[in-house]
Amino acid sequence: MAEIIEPFEFKQCISILKSTGKKAKDLRELKNVIAGISDECIFHHTYQYFLKGHILEYTSDFAHWAGESLEERALSEHLSNIDPYDFKSIHDLRNKLLEVIDNYLENYPEPREAMPGDEFYFNETVTLIFPVGIRAKNLAEFLTAIKYIDSGSIYYHFYEARIRLGSGIDDFSRWIEDALGKKELAERIRAIDPFMHTIEKIRVLIVEAVEDEVKRDMEVIDRCLTGL
Amino acid sequence: MFDRFVGIAPKTDLLLLQMLAARFHKRSFLHINSTRSGGGVAEILQRMIPILQELGINARWEVIEGDPVFFDITKKIHNSLQGNPEKFTEKMWQHHYEINRKNAEKLTLDADAVIIHDPQPAPLIHFKKTGLWIWRCHIDLSNPQIHVWDYLSRYIEKYDATIFSVAKFAREIPIHKFVITPSIDPLSEKNRDLREEEINETLSKFQIPVDRPIILQVSRFDRFKDPVGVIKAFRIAKKYNDCILILAGSPATDDPEGEVVLSEVREYAADDPDIYILLLPPFSDKDINALQRSATIILQKSVKEGFGLTVSESMWKGKPVIGGAVGGIPLQIIHGVTGFLVNSVEGAAFRVRQLLNNPEIAAKMGETAREHVRTNFLLTRQIRDYLSVWYFAEHKGKTVVEI
Repeated sequence: MAEIIEPFEFKQCISILKSTGKKAKDLRELKNVIAGISDECIFHHTYQYFLKGHILEYTSDFAHWAGESLEERALSEHLSNIDPYDFKSIHDLRNKLLEVIDNYLENYPEPREAMPGDEFYFNETVTLIFPVGIRAKNLAEFLTAIKYIDSGSIYYHFYEARIRLGSGIDDFSRWIEDALGKKELAERIRAIDPFMHTIEKIRVLIVEAVEDEVKRDMEVIDRCLTGL
Repeated sequence: MFDRFVGIAPKTDLLLLQMLAARFHKRSFLHINSTRSGGGVAEILQRMIPILQELGINARWEVIEGDPVFFDITKKIHNSLQGNPEKFTEKMWQHHYEINRKNAEKLTLDADAVIIHDPQPAPLIHFKKTGLWIWRCHIDLSNPQIHVWDYLSRYIEKYDATIFSVAKFAREIPIHKFVITPSIDPLSEKNRDLREEEINETLSKFQIPVDRPIILQVSRFDRFKDPVGVIKAFRIAKKYNDCILILAGSPATDDPEGEVVLSEVREYAADDPDIYILLLPPFSDKDINALQRSATIILQKSVKEGFGLTVSESMWKGKPVIGGAVGGIPLQIIHGVTGFLVNSVEGAAFRVRQLLNNPEIAAKMGETAREHVRTNFLLTRQIRDYLSVWYFAEHKGKTVVEI
């Protein structure tokens, strides 16, 4: 009897932006607000950066603002080097952001103010998770689905899952390893660097990896037949 | 109606919309604003209410009535919230309140969720009986005349939540401040695909020649839209490339200043045969659609803007848009990708020349612009977001909710 495999249920999330009403016009104000703002706000400007069509030069809204609005290249590089997934809590991540800003203020000339209207606006989000009505029972179905689903679903399973499950692992590779027992493919997907690609590029890389695996599985059958 | 969005709007937006609507089946959802036609708010409500009803929600739209003095006051409120100095007296605020009180007597304000649009009907909160009340602000509050905002915020703070169009428009007030961008309806008369003969019909009606590139701005005749600046930019560009300019706008019933600005524009255009000033009556949607589709380049050279939905309308038609870098325009135009952002008459003129001389860049920009609108600025996404806010209000205190 065939083994029953737990299907992969595709979900998606949408986030509705909420303003905190706070803004910063220069680096010192940014630092002061970061020190006291909600965890949800820090979460939004770091982890959720990937939900937007982001520029690959930056990894957070703070780095983006430092680069684009303050035009402080070195500061934006320092901030972009912070990997939010390295931290066990928002508290630790917040402290790292403050440390990087403090170091910059100590070692570099005072940055200028942002132009009026170009201040840093502190936001947070509320998130709604929902099933998209697609289930994959095997790798071939998974391959079809991953090509078809919206990019928001890839964000949910590839980025958001790392925080949700607290293990830094995405949903796709977890299912491929746990339900299908394909450790090598799971590791190939885990090796995709979430910082270095757009969501659409992540989709392409996953499709390539899964397609290779599906082809290999078919080739095994071919070899068996040849062996006969 | 709803089915017609299949294949146009992102599929998961439609799915989530149906899931949320099922949860609010037969619940009442009331919208109130101050004009039935003219301007982006009325346009969205005209399209959104029937869809909500089709999805099984008991949606209603009411419009408050006022005398000319009331609309003169609310126009001043609007302008001063966007930064223009205006004088206010206690008597004016009293009249604002009094007209709302009279409207509250006539309107049925009972509903499970109520959205009050913009400052005109804001005092209605005093007459709230039940339900969730949200103040939906469509204008830029980032630099208001503070005395006007302070007065108005006495009403706003009584609401359960506010919704702003852009994060930087929000004020620091002690209630929930959601950010939801507005949207366009791809199926409306203003945005649907048109046949060649429908476009030609409009062009011949207004006697617009088609032998030269058309530069177009569609907007109310309002100083914040800088129609005179558009003429200046056109005159600079025309020294290098032969083209014509169309300035087209509808009057709005809540805008007494429109006539004054229109005369200024006419005077500045000074009978230039290549400038077409079209004062379109309300419900000229098909003509606006045809003008946008026949344009080579579309301008929205605002110097102050709420969101600037005409930008998304133009982008949806695959046109390159040059917009002022104000209000919600930078959310729609990703500079150099889905259009160009400009900060001056000279900047606008330069981009007009650049696009007229590089039709392949213009075409690629238009194509990217259309997809950007499809994923971010269609009506279905906005309805989805409104219902999401309502859903969150019913799950108080939670920041993540699973359906």
